[in-house]
Amino acid sequence: MNRIIALLTYLLVAGQLQASPMAASDTLALDLSAPPAQLDLRPYIFSFDDAGYTLVSSKLPLELFIKNPRIFHPDTLYNNHTHNVWMYLRIRNTASVTGHVTVFAGWHDQMEWYAQDGINPPQHLMTTGFMVDNSKDRWHHYGFLAEVPGGATRTFYLRILNRNLAEHALMPVAFNDLTLAHFEQNKQVFYQHQAVFILVLLGMLLIFLITAIINYIQLPDRSYLYFAAYILGLIFYFALRLDNKPYQLSWFYPWPSLKYYWDVPALLFCFYFMYLLFGNAFLNLRERFPFLERVFKVVSFLIVCITLVCVGFIAQGFYHISYRLYGYVFLASLLPSISVFIILTRRSKHHPLIRFFVFGAVSLNASSLYAFTTHLGENGFYSGTAQLTTPSYIIVVGMLLQAMFFLAGLSYRNKLVHQERTKTQEMLIKQLNKNKELQRKLNEQLEELVKEQTTEILRKKQELEEQRKIQSDFEYGKKLAEIELKAIRAQINPHFIFNCLNSIQLFVMQRDFELAQKYLSDFSYLIRKTLDFSRRNFIALTDEITYLNTYLGLEKMRFEHKMEFEIQVDPDLAIAELEVPSMLLQPYVENAVKHGMNNSFQPIGHLMISFRQTAADVLECTIEDNGIGIEKTKALRTLPKSHQSSGMEISFNRAELLNKMFNTGIQIEIIDKATQDQQHSGTMVRVLIPQL
Amino acid sequence: MIKAIIIDDERNSRDIIALMLERYCPNVEVLALANDCAEGIVKIKEYQPDLVFLDLEMPDGTGFEVLQGLDDINFEAIFVTAFEKKFVHTIRFSEVELILKPIDKESLLQAVNTVQQRISGQVSKQRYKVLMENFLQGRQEHWQLVLPSATSEIMTTMDEILYLEAGQEQCIFHLRKGAPVTVERPFRYYLDLLGNMPFFQINNTQTVNLKAVLQLSADKTQVVLPNNIRLDMTDRRRKEFMSKWK
Repeated sequence: MNRIIALLTYLLVAGQLQASPMAASDTLALDLSAPPAQLDLRPYIFSFDDAGYTLVSSKLPLELFIKNPRIFHPDTLYNNHTHNVWMYLRIRNTASVTGHVTVFAGWHDQMEWYAQDGINPPQHLMTTGFMVDNSKDRWHHYGFLAEVPGGATRTFYLRILNRNLAEHALMPVAFNDLTLAHFEQNKQVFYQHQAVFILVLLGMLLIFLITAIINYIQLPDRSYLYFAAYILGLIFYFALRLDNKPYQLSWFYPWPSLKYYWDVPALLFCFYFMYLLFGNAFLNLRERFPFLERVFKVVSFLIVCITLVCVGFIAQGFYHISYRLYGYVFLASLLPSISVFIILTRRSKHHPLIRFFVFGAVSLNASSLYAFTTHLGENGFYSGTAQLTTPSYIIVVGMLLQAMFFLAGLSYRNKLVHQERTKTQEMLIKQLNKNKELQRKLNEQLEELVKEQTTEILRKKQELEEQRKIQSDFEYGKKLAEIELKAIRAQINPHFIFNCLNSIQLFVMQRDFELAQKYLSDFSYLIRKTLDFSRRNFIALTDEITYLNTYLGLEKMRFEHKMEFEIQVDPDLAIAELEVPSMLLQPYVENAVKHGMNNSFQPIGHLMISFRQTAADVLECTIEDNGIGIEKTKALRTLPKSHQSSGMEISFNRAELLNKMFNTGIQIEIIDKATQDQQHSGTMVRVLIPQL
Repeated sequence: MIKAIIIDDERNSRDIIALMLERYCPNVEVLALANDCAEGIVKIKEYQPDLVFLDLEMPDGTGFEVLQGLDDINFEAIFVTAFEKKFVHTIRFSEVELILKPIDKESLLQAVNTVQQRISGQVSKQRYKVLMENFLQGRQEHWQLVLPSATSEIMTTMDEILYLEAGQEQCIFHLRKGAPVTVERPFRYYLDLLGNMPFFQINNTQTVNLKAVLQLSADKTQVVLPNNIRLDMTDRRRKEFMSKWK
C-alpha cells in the first residue's frame, strides 16, 4: 500500500518535473541565489554500478561513470543482490553569491555524500541510511546539502548501498529550502497513516498478549506460553517496522541493525517455529497424533537451523539471502501444510480445537499465498517474497485472523478445561459425599460394634458378678450348713440327749411307764423339731416358744426342783407372724439353765425368757438367769481353754453370718446383771431381731 | 464287798446306777450318793470308798475337780458320762474306766470287774496321777500313756514311743528304751486314740512316731528310726508321709 502511495507521489512529482524544461548537460548550472523549487536531477547524474566494491571515496575515476537512466526507479525494486551504486553530480553556481539546494534520492539502507572542489580529493560530508544512522534527527539526513560558492562549480558524489532485497524508489531530486520543508511535511503525514496502522496493530497484539498471559495465569498450560511468545515476536516485529517509517515515533533507532535481525528470523520464529510448538501443545499431538508431533518437532528443529543460517547471512551482510530463504521455506511448506490441514480437518469431528487451529493457519497461509501469487507478475519470485516479508496488508489481516482464531481456540479450550474441571469437581464432591456417607455408615457400624461389645462386656461382667455372688452365696451356704450342723450338735447337746435317755431308761426300769412315755414323746418332739428347724434359717416365733417350752420342760424334769422357768410373751405380739432365726436362742437358754443353778445363794435356779417389741419392727428376746453372772463364772473356770463350751460362740457366729447373708441386723448383747445391781446377780442375754 | 459312792448331779442318773448295781453287781455296796463335786469330796472323805462312780459334768465342776480336791486317791474311779468327747481321750490315756449313759449292763459289768481285779490285785493307783497330770497338761503331745501289759502297767511319754505294731488282737509298742511292750488291745484302738498325735501308719501293721523318724533310706522305701530300726513303707503312703514329716 505504502508503495502504491509512494508511486502516486512520485508520479505527481514526476509530472511536475516533466513540466519544466530539462537541459541535458554534464554540469548542472543553477542560480543558487534563487534555486528552483524542485528539480529532477536524473539527467545530470552519472552513475557507476560498483558490484565488485572497487571504488573508495578517495579515488573515484570519473571515466567509469556513465549516464544510466535505468538505475532510477520510482517504485520499490526487488533486487536479488546487493546494490552498490556510485553517482556524481556537478553543479555550477551561476549566481555571484554562495547558494545551495538539497538533494534527495530516496530512503536507502546506506548513503554517503561527498563534495569535491577542483582536484582536491572528495570530502566526506554525510553518511546516513536505515542501516547506519542512529541519530535522533536522522530523518533530516536524507536530504543532502549541495552548497556551491558563487560562480564556482562543485562535484558531489553520492553512494547508495542497498543490501536489502527491496530497494526503495531511487529518484534524485533537488529541493530548495521551502520545497524541502513541504516535502518533509508531506512525508510525515503520509507515513503517519502507516505508523498509526502499525500502532493499532500493536495495540491489538498487546491485547492478545495480555489475554494469553491472563489465560496462562488462570490455567498454566504451555500452549499459552507459545502463543504469548508468538504474539510477542510479532509485537517486536511490528514495533521494529516503525523504524522504517520516516519522521515517525520509533523506539529502537539507537540500534538500527536490530530491525534487520528481527525481520526474516522473526517471521520464521513466529509463523513457523512458535506456530509448530503452539500447534503441538494446543492440539496435544503427543497423545492424539504422535506421528504429527514428531513431524512438527523435526520441522521446528529445521526452522531453528534455517533461522540461525539467516542470522548468519545477515551478520555477513547478505540480507537478501535471508529473504530468499524465507521465500523457499514458504513455498516448501505450502504442500505439507495443506496436507497437515487436511489430516487435521478429517479428525476435527472428534476434536473441535483442531478447527480453530486449522482456520487460523489457513487464514494466514491463504492470505500469504494470495499476496505471494498476486505479486509474482512484477518481479517474479522476489517481489512475491517481498510481499511476504514486508508484509502486505492482506497478510497482516490473515495474521490477525490467525491470532484471533488461536486465541478463540485457546479460550474454547479454557472453557472445555473449565467444564472438565467443574465436572471433575462435581464428581469429586459426589465422591466426597459418598465417602462421607460411607464414613458415616462405617462410624455407625463401628459404634454399633462398640455398643455390642460393651453390652457383651457388661453382660459378661454381670455374669461374672452373678457367678461370684453364687459362689459367695454358695460359700456362705456351706458355712451356714457347717454352722447349722454345729448348732444341731450344740443344741441337741449329747449330754442332754443321753441324760434324757438315761432318765427314760430309769423310768422303764422303775416301771413308771407313764412318765417314761411322756418323757419319750417330749424328747422325740424336741429331736424332730431340731432336725426340722436346722433346715430353715427362720422360723415362726410361736414355734420357737413351743420348742423352748418343751426343752425347758425336759430340763426341769431332769433337775426337778432345782430350777424354774417362765416364758413371757407380750400379748400384743403377733407370734404366728414374727420370725426368728432358728436355733439361735436355744444355746443361750441352755447356758442359762446350766449357770442358773450354780448359785449357792439361790437354791432354785430361776430362768426367765421374754419376748416383746421394743421399737417398730424390732423383736427383743431376753434370757435371764439368777446365777452368779457371766463374769464370776469366767473367773471360777479352772478348765483349760480347750475344754470350754462353744454353744454361745456358735450362736454368735450364726447371727453374724445371717446378718451378712440377709442383712438382718441381729444384735446380741450379754449383760452381767451384777454390774448393774449387786443384789440380783445373774446373766441377761438380749437378742434384738429386726423384722424385715 | 466293794464299797461304792455315786456322785452325779441328776437324780435320775444316780438312781439308775444304784438300781443297776443292786440288780447286776451284788458284790458292790452303795454307801452314799452325792449330787455335786463339793458333796462328793465330803462323802469320799467320810466313807473312804473302794470305788467311786463319778459324773463328768456337774454344776459346780467336773469329776476331775473331785479328784483334784482330794489329797490322796486310794480308791478306784469309774467315770460316767452322757457324752463328753473331749474328756474321753484323757481318761482312756490313763486307762481309767469309763461308762457311757445310758448305761448298758455289759459295760457296767466289765468296768466293775476290771476295778474289782485291780482292788483285789492291789494294783498301783499311779494311773490317777497320770490322769490328773494329763488333765492339767493342755498339750496332748506331752501326755503320758499307760500301757496295760499282761504283767504290769507301764507309763510312757509320747517321745518314748518309736512305733506301734499290730499283733494278734494285741498291739506291740516299741520304745526307745527297754523291750517292746505288748498290750492286750487291738491295734486299731490305739490308731483311734493316737489319731490327733503325730503318728503315721507307714504300712498295714506299723505306725511310726513321726518325731522319732531320723531319715528315709536312700531309695525312700524305708523309714529309719533310732536303735538302727528300719521299717518298710508302702509306695502309696510315701507321698502323704513326706507332707506330714517335718
